[in-house]
Amino acid sequence: MAITTNVEAILRVEGLVTGFRTGGGLVRAVEEVSFELHRGEILGIVGESGSGKSVTNLSILRLVQCPPGEVSAGRVLYGGKDLLSASEEEVRLVRGRNISMIFQDPLTSLNPVIKVGKQIAEAIRLHHGAKRREADARAVDMLRLIGIPDAERRASDYPHQFSGGMRQRVMIAMALSCDPEILIADEPTTALDVTIQAQILDLIRNLSAQSGTAVILVTHDLGVVAGMCDSVCVMYAGRIVERATVDDLFYDPLHPYTRGLLDSIPRTDSTGKERLYSIPGSPPNLVDLPEACPFQPRCPKAQEACARERPPEVTMAGRAPRTVRCWLHAGEDHHVS
Amino acid sequence: MESNVGRYIAKRLLSLIPVLFGVSLIVFFLVRLIPGSALQMYLGTQVEATAEQMVELKRIFGEDRPVLVLYVEWLGRLLQGDFGISLRTGREVLPDILSRLPLSLELTVMALLIALLFGIPQGILASLKRNPFVDVLNRVVGLLGLSLPQFWLAALMVLFFSGFRGWIPMGNYVGFFQDPLRNIQMLLLPSLAIGIGLAAVIMRYTRNSMLEVLEMDYIRTARAKGLRKRSVIFGHALKNAILPVITVAGFNTGYLLGGAIVIEEVFALPGMGRLALYAIYQRDYPVIQGIVLVIAAIFVLVNLATDLIYAMADPRIRLDDSGRKS
Amino acid sequence: MIPRRLAKNGIALTGIVIVSLYIIVILVSFFWLPFDPVKIDADHLLEEPSLKTGHIFGTDEFGRDILSRIMKGSLVSLVISLSATTMGALIGVTMGIWAGYLGGRWDNWIMRIADIIFAFPSLLLAIFVMAILGEKTWNVVIAIGIVYIPQFARISRGAILSVKTNEFVRAARSNGASAIFILYRHLLPNILVPIIVQVSLALSVSILLESSLSFLGLGIQPPWPSWGNMLSSARKVMVLAPWTAIYPGFAIVFLVLGFNLLGDGLRDILDPRLKNVG
Repeated sequence: MAITTNVEAILRVEGLVTGFRTGGGLVRAVEEVSFELHRGEILGIVGESGSGKSVTNLSILRLVQCPPGEVSAGRVLYGGKDLLSASEEEVRLVRGRNISMIFQDPLTSLNPVIKVGKQIAEAIRLHHGAKRREADARAVDMLRLIGIPDAERRASDYPHQFSGGMRQRVMIAMALSCDPEILIADEPTTALDVTIQAQILDLIRNLSAQSGTAVILVTHDLGVVAGMCDSVCVMYAGRIVERATVDDLFYDPLHPYTRGLLDSIPRTDSTGKERLYSIPGSPPNLVDLPEACPFQPRCPKAQEACARERPPEVTMAGRAPRTVRCWLHAGEDHHVS
Repeated sequence: MESNVGRYIAKRLLSLIPVLFGVSLIVFFLVRLIPGSALQMYLGTQVEATAEQMVELKRIFGEDRPVLVLYVEWLGRLLQGDFGISLRTGREVLPDILSRLPLSLELTVMALLIALLFGIPQGILASLKRNPFVDVLNRVVGLLGLSLPQFWLAALMVLFFSGFRGWIPMGNYVGFFQDPLRNIQMLLLPSLAIGIGLAAVIMRYTRNSMLEVLEMDYIRTARAKGLRKRSVIFGHALKNAILPVITVAGFNTGYLLGGAIVIEEVFALPGMGRLALYAIYQRDYPVIQGIVLVIAAIFVLVNLATDLIYAMADPRIRLDDSGRKS
Repeated sequence: MIPRRLAKNGIALTGIVIVSLYIIVILVSFFWLPFDPVKIDADHLLEEPSLKTGHIFGTDEFGRDILSRIMKGSLVSLVISLSATTMGALIGVTMGIWAGYLGGRWDNWIMRIADIIFAFPSLLLAIFVMAILGEKTWNVVIAIGIVYIPQFARISRGAILSVKTNEFVRAARSNGASAIFILYRHLLPNILVPIIVQVSLALSVSILLESSLSFLGLGIQPPWPSWGNMLSSARKVMVLAPWTAIYPGFAIVFLVLGFNLLGDGLRDILDPRLKNVG
């Protein structure tokens, strides 16, 4: 499915900056992040750990712990409102009803002392004003929908009585119980067994297709992106270094970091003799980043300009929005009207 | 589920038997360490006895049999509710203790309620308002609570409130069933003296526990659901944060009971503590033995109750398991 | 490294300062006291605190200077709480580490004994032991020391269990080291942290226990001053002379608070797992 610019964007993030105050100084976890999400789209956000992908998503719903975290600039436009400048009450009403989230570790993300049925019903009662009994019934329906056998009985079990995969299903049931327009899935399969991972991803994809829910899928796994997403943002050191449709990204990666990531995926057609590529070096410390491209020390194509100045975000020509932050492409800026 | 709870309680009660047995051993043999036999002490206040009376008295006091036999006899009588006879008043020990017990228990329960009702809300508030000053203050107040001698607080209360009629019991104690309001009014200051230190401790535990819980992923989930702050704090955070507080409160109930014993003395309340002190001053060992046994039994039961409440509050504890493991 | 962190930790430092103040007072009291703490002075009964008379905390019902008695009493309190804690710690730690190290039947029996002692509320146990042993100063030490045995036993047993399986123990054992050598040379140093913290907390509780016992007339006996028996005799006269009850109480509160601050700060410093818990 090709996404074109004439499909209405339901969520637009513009120039988001989020930092954390720590003993060592201000950590700029998210820097100048902009992207948009369209109705029904599955958008992948890829990057190594610490690249700011989770913080970006927590910032959208203003769930960053403050202090020490602080969203210091940018706009998050949803439903004609800027969620960053809206009142806490307005954002609260968006959470769970319009935009909901699932997290990496379903064991720690579910309240251990509350029955799962109640944890799901809670949001339904809150957002749809449902009576306790209706909400409970809907919670059981949701559990059944996401494939929990014997849902009626399991609704009164506690999280520790479920397996890891089942817990993540419960999280998904909870997140989708109010028919949100957007689901943010923050590394939903990282904590799970490989065999369960595919099931959970399938579940997310199918439910999204059925209900038209747009998904932001945060992952460090490009394979997952290739299988699930329509478009991708690649993050490095708090910035989006490349944004493209999945096809563009995989067939024609522009940023050297993206290329490095693609090269380090094990290929099924390889002979097994060549060594797997890995990007040399490690991600930079986000405290006091120098005025340079953060990827420059590890970049095989680094030029003189890269060490001197940060690259601007360049919009490339093409059917779909495509941007890259790299001096290699600085001259190719192309403004689509 | 219900049968599990029943079985768990039964199992825990059974596990108390060796502990209580050990308690009885200690109480029995420690008392026998006292120089001078009980008979001598008994005779100390009496006129001389004839030779026949001596034989009879020796039989009664068990001086004609080996110690182990005496212990078994004593234990047998204990199990039948016969705690012996006071050396001073000649009355049966157990009824005397049981008539004093309700006041001491009432003091303990009131003190516990005060500790919880002050400590938990304050702890929650302190966890929500975080700044360096509040953090240090909270910590110092918590430690101060640990540092206040209850009997000193009680003495200060007597000092400051002696002008207010009705608040200091001093010799005209009114039972709960005679006049509940007067009774509670009278016991309020004593319970405050007993419980306020624990309140500070509970406050600190609640706050620390809340702070820890508020960092948890499931709190983020609750917020991501769009729950109101109130629901997040009371519905999600507190339910978890209260768990260690239960343990601390239960563990300290013994401290409150001990406090009640001292505080009764300060306020001249006719509870078990005064009975115990009187017995100690008079060297009335059957009474001392009886009180120590009763309090140890209560304490052990309180610990059991604490474990049960904890197990009910935390679904991760499986009641059909043998113990406290999660 | 630890002394420096101690100095940086305000809580622990405050505790050290308070406890040191008391130690200075004790040292001074060996050489100098404002007045004789036990001599009865019928001319100055229940005098209120005044700089002019030199009785800055006032006098008691026998005309004795309160400050002098508090100073003299601090020696009693500190010596008793130190001795009782040492006794409880020595017996408890020995029980605990052997229980943890030997395991099995030994563990069962030793810990059952600890459980039985634990079945008594601490003050009641101390009162009971005093009632049996009689009101002598060293009996107070025993009565309070017994209270700590189970606590130290549990803590050291737990700590031993957690380090027992470490590689270095296995290595030492395979080199033919004896159990005693392994325990005291290798394991004990590894469990010192929780024990040190427990010692400073036990010190604070034992001061409270001692003063409670003395208050009830079961601890230190008059005319020798202790804070507890000062408060006890103050009860009869405190409505007339509140200072007789107030100052000895403050003496208790500050020293106990000092030990509590010290213990709490030490826990911060020595046990990094409990960081950022205020």
